[in-house]
Amino acid sequence: MHDAVARTETLDHGEPPPRGRRIPEHWWGYVLLAPAVILVLGLILYPVVYSFWISLHAKHAYLPIETFIGLENYAALLDDDECFWRGLRLGAIFAVSSVGLQLVVGVAAAMLLNESFVGRAFARGVTLFPYMVPMIVVVILMRWIFNDSYGVLKYLLQASGLVDDPIIWFSPDNVMLTLILVSTWTFFPFVVIGTLARLQTIDPELYAAAKVDGAGPLRRFYHVTLPQIRNVLFVIVLLRFMFMFTKFDLIWLFAGAGGLGYYVRTLPVYTYVRTFGELQVGAGAALSVTLFLMLVIFSIFYFTTFRRDEQL
Amino acid sequence: MRVDFRMLLARLVVYGAALVLITLCGFPLLWMVLTSIKPDREILSATPTFWTDSPHFEAFERLFETTNFLTYFANSLIVAGSATVLTVFVGALAAYGITRFRFRGRELVAGSMLFTYMFAPIMIVVPFFIVMRNLGLVNSHLGLILSYTTFSLPFSMWLLRSFFQSIPIDLEEAAMVDGASRPQAVIRVILPMAFPGLIAVSIFTFIVAWNDYLFARVLIASDNLKTLPVGIQDLYESTVTDWGMVMAAGVMITLPALAFFIVVQRYLVAGWGAGAVKG
Repeated sequence: MHDAVARTETLDHGEPPPRGRRIPEHWWGYVLLAPAVILVLGLILYPVVYSFWISLHAKHAYLPIETFIGLENYAALLDDDECFWRGLRLGAIFAVSSVGLQLVVGVAAAMLLNESFVGRAFARGVTLFPYMVPMIVVVILMRWIFNDSYGVLKYLLQASGLVDDPIIWFSPDNVMLTLILVSTWTFFPFVVIGTLARLQTIDPELYAAAKVDGAGPLRRFYHVTLPQIRNVLFVIVLLRFMFMFTKFDLIWLFAGAGGLGYYVRTLPVYTYVRTFGELQVGAGAALSVTLFLMLVIFSIFYFTTFRRDEQL
Repeated sequence: MRVDFRMLLARLVVYGAALVLITLCGFPLLWMVLTSIKPDREILSATPTFWTDSPHFEAFERLFETTNFLTYFANSLIVAGSATVLTVFVGALAAYGITRFRFRGRELVAGSMLFTYMFAPIMIVVPFFIVMRNLGLVNSHLGLILSYTTFSLPFSMWLLRSFFQSIPIDLEEAAMVDGASRPQAVIRVILPMAFPGLIAVSIFTFIVAWNDYLFARVLIASDNLKTLPVGIQDLYESTVTDWGMVMAAGVMITLPALAFFIVVQRYLVAGWGAGAVKG
């Protein structure tokens, strides 16, 4: 708000002298903004509203079939234990585990990168690597590293004596675990960036004072660091959860449609399969809308819980 | 001496942890490069070698000569490059309009820009596909370019707005008093000062467009129009995996994104700093 007020004042003060223009000055605001607004309205907001409309129809992706069926697509979802509820469960397992791991690894890495040591700048740069790598590369690279026969991970685990029998990473039992590990690897730098920025603003005096009081590293973390980074972690966890819950490309590329894909068919993947595999656009749109509503409900729940926490 | 010992231990822990972190993040990429230049017999071996005495680039040659990789690569460059230029242009126009003119709805537009990030790609893609088909933009690069531009715009406008706000209006006026027209004032005064912001927007858009899989998959059907993520997926799934060649493709896709990032990240860091302090 302060920002807006300051801005207006500057404008009032600094309005250029009239230069005999034919078009009123303020019209230029609309003209300059028009291309951006048209694109965003036409290609983001209109499709979102349109998807509510499609979701009320039985609509085929290519054939000109479009019948109004009310909420039937939604009713079908609620009855769909095999795909919808199972997808929701798998998605929740994936998102919660992955975000949890990203948070633990990310905060630990941020604290480390906040210490001073020789080569810190290099370490900070390398830590961003996994986040910079295109998703398709993450997938083919991890498929190679986790390969059952020639994967370097298999060799390292066996050579170091950590496991005797090779772990089959791409099996129905393990594919979810593998996916969670890989997603943690690519996305934890996001947590590092946010947390490190906040850590750098903590007053060193706080640590000095805690040390004088005889607090060890663990107590310093709980009583000094954690309260300071709580707010930024709140936002990071919300964003990461929303991103992971709606994650499509990683899961789809990692496991595909059939076979192994069945064991990680979360709701975003199911949405894609319904729309572009089975060509049922109406049902796919109903899934998109449901995903959106779930995120809204989750956000409300998350914010209210957090507020209650704050009062305690 | 007890204190010294504890400090030494603490340093050891820090360096040990740093080594683990660097290895976890860096090793997979190193392994990708190494695999791409190894001879086949070293790739398909139960005891992998961590160095190779006979590096060669045959995997890259196979990639360029026996597959459509170079077509995909050119397509990705065209699409990501065009989307970047278009986003910077449209975003800068909009940000300039929002910060330099007063009109109804200005605050509404500024405030609702980031709201669009509520919609994840998978939630937009279904109706988006129908809209693009009705517009006749399916299976064309133009459709992809417009998609990536639109998805990058809210963030880009938001970022550029804070940059433009930080540039005093007096500077422009001074230039105009000296006889420059408004467009001249913008080009000579505003754009150079907002350069870090334009760079940040370029990186963001380029990487969004370069990395996207979902929209390219849904919108593009012809093989000769495919961008890298889609082309590589099809390549990977259509044959018995030639790991050397696949890793060579991985290296080739990662390099431009990484190079783009490394070359311009010092502008980015400076830009974030300036934007945060003044904006």
